[in-house]
Amino acid sequence: MPEVAENQMLNTPGRTAREVAPPRVRQFGAVNWRGLWTLYHREVKRFFKVFTQTLAAPVVTTLLFYTIFTVALQNRVGSMGAVSFTVFLAPGLIMMTILQNSFANTSSSMMTSKIQGNIVDVLMPPISPLEMLCGFLGGGITRGLIVGVSATIAMIVLVDFPFHNPAIILFFALTASAMMALLGMIGGIWAEKFDHMAAITNFVVVPLSFLSGTFYSIDRLPEIWQSVAHLNPFFYAIDGFRYGFIGQGDAPFWLGALVMLSVDLVLFLIVHRMLASGYKLKS
Amino acid sequence: MTDRPDLLLGGTPTARRFGLLNWIGLLTFYRREMARGFKIWKITLAAPAIRAGLFASVFGLAIGSPGAMMGGQPFMAFLVPGLITVAVLERAFESAAFSIVYDKTEGIFGDLAVLPLTPGEIVLGFAAATVTGSLIVAAVVGVALFPFAGLFPAHPLALLFFVATGALMIGLFSQIAGLWAKKWDYINSVQTFIFLPFVFFSGVFFALESLSAAVRPFARANPVFYIVDGIRYGMTGRAEADPVFGAMVCLGMVAFFWIVSYRLFSVGYRMKS
Repeated sequence: MPEVAENQMLNTPGRTAREVAPPRVRQFGAVNWRGLWTLYHREVKRFFKVFTQTLAAPVVTTLLFYTIFTVALQNRVGSMGAVSFTVFLAPGLIMMTILQNSFANTSSSMMTSKIQGNIVDVLMPPISPLEMLCGFLGGGITRGLIVGVSATIAMIVLVDFPFHNPAIILFFALTASAMMALLGMIGGIWAEKFDHMAAITNFVVVPLSFLSGTFYSIDRLPEIWQSVAHLNPFFYAIDGFRYGFIGQGDAPFWLGALVMLSVDLVLFLIVHRMLASGYKLKS
Repeated sequence: MTDRPDLLLGGTPTARRFGLLNWIGLLTFYRREMARGFKIWKITLAAPAIRAGLFASVFGLAIGSPGAMMGGQPFMAFLVPGLITVAVLERAFESAAFSIVYDKTEGIFGDLAVLPLTPGEIVLGFAAATVTGSLIVAAVVGVALFPFAGLFPAHPLALLFFVATGALMIGLFSQIAGLWAKKWDYINSVQTFIFLPFVFFSGVFFALESLSAAVRPFARANPVFYIVDGIRYGMTGRAEADPVFGAMVCLGMVAFFWIVSYRLFSVGYRMKS
């Protein structure tokens, strides 16, 4: 009796169910490279499609910031540490756009997918939580780096700043954009509406990227705020990145490197846990 | 249906008559626009106040010395009116344009065309909501920035005039930009590549005298400069240009944008397809 039913279901009158090979689980090896690559590719295409907003606008905004701060403050500030204010300001502004853009990339991607309901298209494919995490993370880092490079090129035209140690510059650009991309994913997963996201951006990301030493050396701060700054990973991102350019910083760069790596690691584990458990993504 | 006797009696419907203005319609439209802004008050009121506070702190910390001067007055007293202006103008730019583009992407923008509102009433409704919203933002940001410079308005009436006229000017521009925009991309581009440069180079953060002599005339040709300068006059009593001349420029720009926006709404530009 069961055999008859199965035969009818298969609609193959001459054959029994036993003769049809059952579908097998597809094997990928350790990593589903194609799936990972496809997700990464989508994440990058997402922001390239609207490059005026995602690449050109941040560069223009950075230049505007640079101009107003130099025109308003140049003759009044003089120097920051051993370098002139403009040389001090340029790396800070570049890092600020890197931070804001890598955050924007993953958070808006998550958010839009959730609101439009096509998040299932990412949850259904045969990719593990780890691969999913790496795909989004890669997209966020790529956006951060591209914006960072464009802003640097634009800035070189305006101000003559040194490249003390390119390896350190790259290290901090990478770890900082990774940190923000991971934070963006946490925000994107947690937030339920665009309102929530806007609140995180306006009340957390922008203040932290503004107040963490983009525009001034933290020895300008009152004692107590200096100690607070030393607990703030944004500060180490900006300070280390600037060290890569001008060869001096408020904190030793190895400490910054250590902080960035540990923050990245912790955030990585948190996001992985969120994706694996399906927190707020799978109901 | 007591006000429609023609229908009760089964006669042919006649066009409903309003006086000079459809007050109920206009007020309803105005209240919808206001409600839209208030519903997301965290973004429309709290965020600008925080941002202005951030700018003030960052400039203050970067400049370090309390004795720094700008445009003939202490730096903070110079900066605070500028920051209020930025908040007011940003709100004004976002008010009508964002409403219009939102409605376009939702596919409900055509609803405006079938309302018993004339193009003039629509322009007026948007403009009134923009000005009200901007005045509220100005008050909130002004209070938030009070600790930085301890400023009380030197000429409250002038301040009110320039905040309202500035908001009106940018609000009307925002109607035009919103009508032109087909998608969010368009309006974001206008904001980043036109609106922001005009505002940032208007003397919000620095006196025009800090600019080199070669670019100063361009800065003077920027209408936004007269808004900033007027608001600064209202707050501190000092201005770089003659406030009366500034008021004329602002009113002229308002008239120009009003006519353009009215014309676009009348022909249904990118509105009726």
